[in-house]
Amino acid sequence: MNLLDIRNLTIELKTTNQNILAVDRVSLSMKEGEVRGLVGESGSGKSLIAQAIIGVLDDKWHVHADRFHWRGVDLLRLSFEERKALLSKDIAMIFQEPMACLDPTTTIGEQLSEAISSKQLSGFFWQKQKQRTSAIIKLLHKVGIKKHTECIKSYPHQLTEALCQRVMIAIALARRPILLIADEPTAAMESVNQGQIFRLLSSLNQLKNMSILLISHDLENITHWANTITVMYSGQFVEAGTTEQISKKPLHPYTKALVDSSPKSNLQLPPKSRLTTLPGSIPILQHLPIGCRLGPRCPRAQQACVKAPNVTSFHGHKVSCHFPMKEIR
Amino acid sequence: MTTLLEVKELYKSYKTKGYWYHKKTIDVLKPLSFCIEAYKTLAIIGETGSGKSTLAKLLVGAEMPSGGRIFLNGQTLKNSNFKQKCQHIRIIFQDSSTTLNPSLTILQLLDEPLKLNTELSEKERIELIRITLQKVGLLGDHMNFYPHMFSGGQKQRISLARAIILKPQVIILDEALASLDPSLRAQMINLLLDLQEQMGLAYILISHNLGIVRHFSDELLVLSQGSVVERGKTNDVINNPKHKVTRKLIMTQGLRLHKK
Repeated sequence: MNLLDIRNLTIELKTTNQNILAVDRVSLSMKEGEVRGLVGESGSGKSLIAQAIIGVLDDKWHVHADRFHWRGVDLLRLSFEERKALLSKDIAMIFQEPMACLDPTTTIGEQLSEAISSKQLSGFFWQKQKQRTSAIIKLLHKVGIKKHTECIKSYPHQLTEALCQRVMIAIALARRPILLIADEPTAAMESVNQGQIFRLLSSLNQLKNMSILLISHDLENITHWANTITVMYSGQFVEAGTTEQISKKPLHPYTKALVDSSPKSNLQLPPKSRLTTLPGSIPILQHLPIGCRLGPRCPRAQQACVKAPNVTSFHGHKVSCHFPMKEIR
Repeated sequence: MTTLLEVKELYKSYKTKGYWYHKKTIDVLKPLSFCIEAYKTLAIIGETGSGKSTLAKLLVGAEMPSGGRIFLNGQTLKNSNFKQKCQHIRIIFQDSSTTLNPSLTILQLLDEPLKLNTELSEKERIELIRITLQKVGLLGDHMNFYPHMFSGGQKQRISLARAIILKPQVIILDEALASLDPSLRAQMINLLLDLQEQMGLAYILISHNLGIVRHFSDELLVLSQGSVVERGKTNDVINNPKHKVTRKLIMTQGLRLHKK
């Protein structure tokens, strides 16, 4: 059974003039123990999907879906409290800027102890405090922080960005989640630290069998860490498949452009040659093109592209395009 | 080809305040020398705190070097001569949205360096701004817009326009490509390469994306804790790294090392 099964998710922003479809019929499914990459450039709605899953979008946003199942339970039918009870146990999320997400006025130790629920502790109240401290230390060790006494006493500003992200992961792990949503966990971080965080996440995935939804704008980085990848563009579903399929044989012109535009992936490219890229820039939400939103920038666009394409599947490699690059293969 | 910019024994150190026997000097940048030719790109890589950005600041004159000399076309660039410095060496920063003044239109933004550094009349200035905007792939009419009306990629182009408007010889790209989306980043790289060919610019590229460094630069300088640990032609260094810092940087990027 799929852990997370979302079919045709639509997220709509209702304004006085018009309704903006920020996310337009996106499907996403996750199996247990899988690392799925969700890739898209800015404004592609990838963070919105993450927020819709954990249900923190406010009333301005309207979420519809044909199916929105978490381990067989339809989340959209649940009341807010039921949903909260279910999800706070099973899903945890870490955010982009760890420094900004931690409370600057309290120490790391206090913030961690808040995350540990009292249900995990047993015994009398005088024993609980001790258990709590040992649980905190265990969590810190789990994310690879060895100097736990210093870390517990310090405030977020005293730690480096990478350490803060580790603390965030520790807080996320406190309730032993089944799914961890990582929304650009290493944005604005250095490559050495980036590697450390990704290695930590993949070791958690392998040791604890924790599924991870890895959200990023960088396709080349994601290919090292994810098993399967979903690509989005400007709120629309583009392509989904295994990492191999996406990086070796992209079917959608957009994915092809993304793969080609990174100088790292094609090493045989002579230095200082022009990179292939799509013309134009990403459309803003107020002026989205109709039909396939890549249309105006797409090199293969034809008249049929004014209608949004349906998703077709080639051996589990799903693509949403009228003219996929299949014949080129 | 003659050297365009030459840096000799440039270094920077800070003195911490305290009693006279507690005084310490911290060397942020140990004496380093390099030179760049026109049409060439020098890449500088290193971890945080290795002094990459300090070097950029010293070159543009945002900070005073503690010692050393900078030569441009064989002439000494005096540290106090900001006018000469800012005409010939320009910088583009990482975050384009915060480096543009939100209360000024693009016209006013680009007019400022012209007013301060050139003797052009108003008509000539506007004409020059129009041409420069077209050069970076925007329209001349964009000059009446405010920065918030542009997308991230376009803002970075405006930063580039601001950098090239004085017809400089050296442009420093301080992580200028890091915050852009991949497809826009490729566009920007193409644009930078085109401009390099047209105007004979020399770039100093500070980046931690080795893919871009490999593609874009001719020479490479690896900094670690303020000192140069490795230097040479980009391809040689990346295919055959000698120092462990370089190896570590290449390893973490997952850049497959294969020899041609």
